[in-house]
Amino acid sequence: MVRNIVVLGGNSHPAIVDSVCNALSLPPCNRILTKFSSGESRCEIQDSVRGKDVYIIQTGFGGNGSKLNDHFMDLLIMISACKTGSARRVTAVLPLFPYSRQPDLPYKKAGAPLFKTGGSENGKKDYTFDSVPPTPAPGVPRSAGLVNGADINDKLSQTGLTNGTGPQSPVKQTNGNHVNHVNGAPAPGALTRAYTTHDYENLSHIGAFEAKPGYKQWVAQAGTLVANLLTCAGADHVITMDLHDPQVQGFFDVPVDNLYGGPLLKRYIQQHVPNYKDAVIISPDAGGAKRATAIADSMGVDFALIHKERRPTKITDRQNASMMLVGNVQDRICILVDDLLDTGNTITRAAKLLKKEGATKIYALLTHGVFSGDAINRISASAIDKVVVTNSVPQEKHKAALGSKLDVLDISPIFAEAIRRVHHGESISVLFNHD
Amino acid sequence: MSAEMANEIKLISGRSHPDLSDKIAKRLGIDVARTISLNYSNQETSFTVGESVRDEDVFIVQSTATGDVNEGLMELLIMISACRTASARRITAVIPNFPYARQDKKDKSRAPISARLVANMLQTAGANHIVTVDLHASQIQGFFSVPVDNLYAEPSFLRYIRENFNAEDCVIVSPDAGGAKRATSIADHLNTAFALIHKERPRPNVVGRMVLVGNVEDKVAILVDDMADTCGTLVKAAAVLKENGAKSVLALVTHGILSGNAIETLNGSVLSALVVTNTVPLGDKVERCPKLRVIDISPTIAEAIRRTHNGESVSYLFTHAPV
Repeated sequence: MVRNIVVLGGNSHPAIVDSVCNALSLPPCNRILTKFSSGESRCEIQDSVRGKDVYIIQTGFGGNGSKLNDHFMDLLIMISACKTGSARRVTAVLPLFPYSRQPDLPYKKAGAPLFKTGGSENGKKDYTFDSVPPTPAPGVPRSAGLVNGADINDKLSQTGLTNGTGPQSPVKQTNGNHVNHVNGAPAPGALTRAYTTHDYENLSHIGAFEAKPGYKQWVAQAGTLVANLLTCAGADHVITMDLHDPQVQGFFDVPVDNLYGGPLLKRYIQQHVPNYKDAVIISPDAGGAKRATAIADSMGVDFALIHKERRPTKITDRQNASMMLVGNVQDRICILVDDLLDTGNTITRAAKLLKKEGATKIYALLTHGVFSGDAINRISASAIDKVVVTNSVPQEKHKAALGSKLDVLDISPIFAEAIRRVHHGESISVLFNHD
Repeated sequence: MSAEMANEIKLISGRSHPDLSDKIAKRLGIDVARTISLNYSNQETSFTVGESVRDEDVFIVQSTATGDVNEGLMELLIMISACRTASARRITAVIPNFPYARQDKKDKSRAPISARLVANMLQTAGANHIVTVDLHASQIQGFFSVPVDNLYAEPSFLRYIRENFNAEDCVIVSPDAGGAKRATSIADHLNTAFALIHKERPRPNVVGRMVLVGNVEDKVAILVDDMADTCGTLVKAAAVLKENGAKSVLALVTHGILSGNAIETLNGSVLSALVVTNTVPLGDKVERCPKLRVIDISPTIAEAIRRTHNGESVSYLFTHAPV
């Protein structure tokens, strides 16, 4: 029993609120958190918070009929309500930090809403990429792509991972992006785009957009704004897990505890991967190398890295990158380790490369499994044998869709322990490296 | 390019009400800036800027669509923050219907003062100036430490009444005590009678008993209010007025939020017309409700933007509606 502490849950992830409260053996704070019919959030906190240490749990995930921005605004309103309700300290607990990814280029990585593509000039407009179902885009059915019965091995054998398939191979154009399926050939040189967005019905709005000549379009970065909004609402402390960019910690003027999912993933490997000592830990991109090597080193396991090469010959070839494996995976079990699975593009492409290089079995271990867009279909059709994620976002729907292919690890004990330690003013660095 | 050429009006439109932005841009004789807002598949909002705003006078028009308030608000914050990052000289948030304006006081224990939170968030994001229309409570201006221009739909309403009715046959009615000031002001300008309805509100979006103070017999009763949400109040008030002998009842409301079953409620009511301004995107509601009439508020907003940009007084607009 912990005294003088209030745990308040948002609507984004009720399951984790319950299990954290269970672990702390206290009931969650009573509150009303709904919407007025006008769409404004309605929040009433029914238990007293005066002089209490308040922890508000809300994860950065929208889905199952709820919206991410609604959840975020709810969080801000709850923080503000507790602050005006004379709470002694308000801590925002965000298992998945919203807007943490900050894609800095319009065409970087899956999930980016806009990108240039030279694809339409190739005359292969209806090309469908191997294991990757296409991005939802204007005029494209939600899940085209690998149809049932297609032979995955056959598809895999067509990978364009070698450099000899010509400078404008459609396969290579899909690196980090998706093939452009916008119907109707645009004027030569005009930008065409594909979208991983629910705005694809809003064609007229999107179709009219084009940057001013001579101006390089850019995408706004919301990370600093989100950090500032949390402090402006009155958060005194933030607890989160596996920030995509550790630099986000520096955007805050208040203390941020960034917990690690690594130990949990490591334990899974030790317990569930047969002969894990002979396996290879793979980082699907250079950015995650540090995270993956940390796990590999602590277990004395080999490490390999997938390097995405971008060597543009001209500007429009920017995305014509190829993937290169640095290391040997022939006849070995591969364990991909990364922090975030969004549309699943990076990880499925990496898996395909590993299969081609002779991997026997492929595990994918990720802290946050968002599974947005076509991720579920893409994972099902991919060469990955097992996906392991934590319940930093609700996984019930994903588990139902992916079945035994998905394993979910419980992070609520880590958060409960972090809350307990923060409340008592104990060190939480122990949580960073425990086994 | 000379130095005077820089610092022009940049009108940026959010997704919530592109129609209003287009009308404002047309009035100002400029194009809406090339930007686009989208949602990633993980539902995070992204905002792409396609032209320079460096050292420009930026006006961001974002209303909040009914049911999608948080989405619109977050988008607005991201747009403001993006313009600040892009070195805009001044950023004015044009928010025709201010979100969370009704959550402006701590009416019970631990109730959030969300309007104040929104004010803080707008300033945190980097807004230097706010333009809005008919704030629910003008005290909300006090939540800001930057200038707030609270425009009135009243001049537009006065013109509408003068053009469509004989002022002597009318009586202006406020549906609650809080709106009495707004209604008396209109009644004074028209030199007509005034009445008031006292209501009890047991819970939000639910209306209790109503009592009429004043005489409406054989008159055209014109209800005046700042927002019509579920329309429960208006419809009940209209029924009370009808019972007290009003010839006909219509309502003039600035913000037609019209959430929930508002359209059905209106269609089945004794109200002969509901006149709203286009501060809130109405979508297909005009087609679904033959009683709904829309007054275009964009000339007032456009003129406020022009005057703000040129450093002229805006107070002229408090009493005059530009044609």
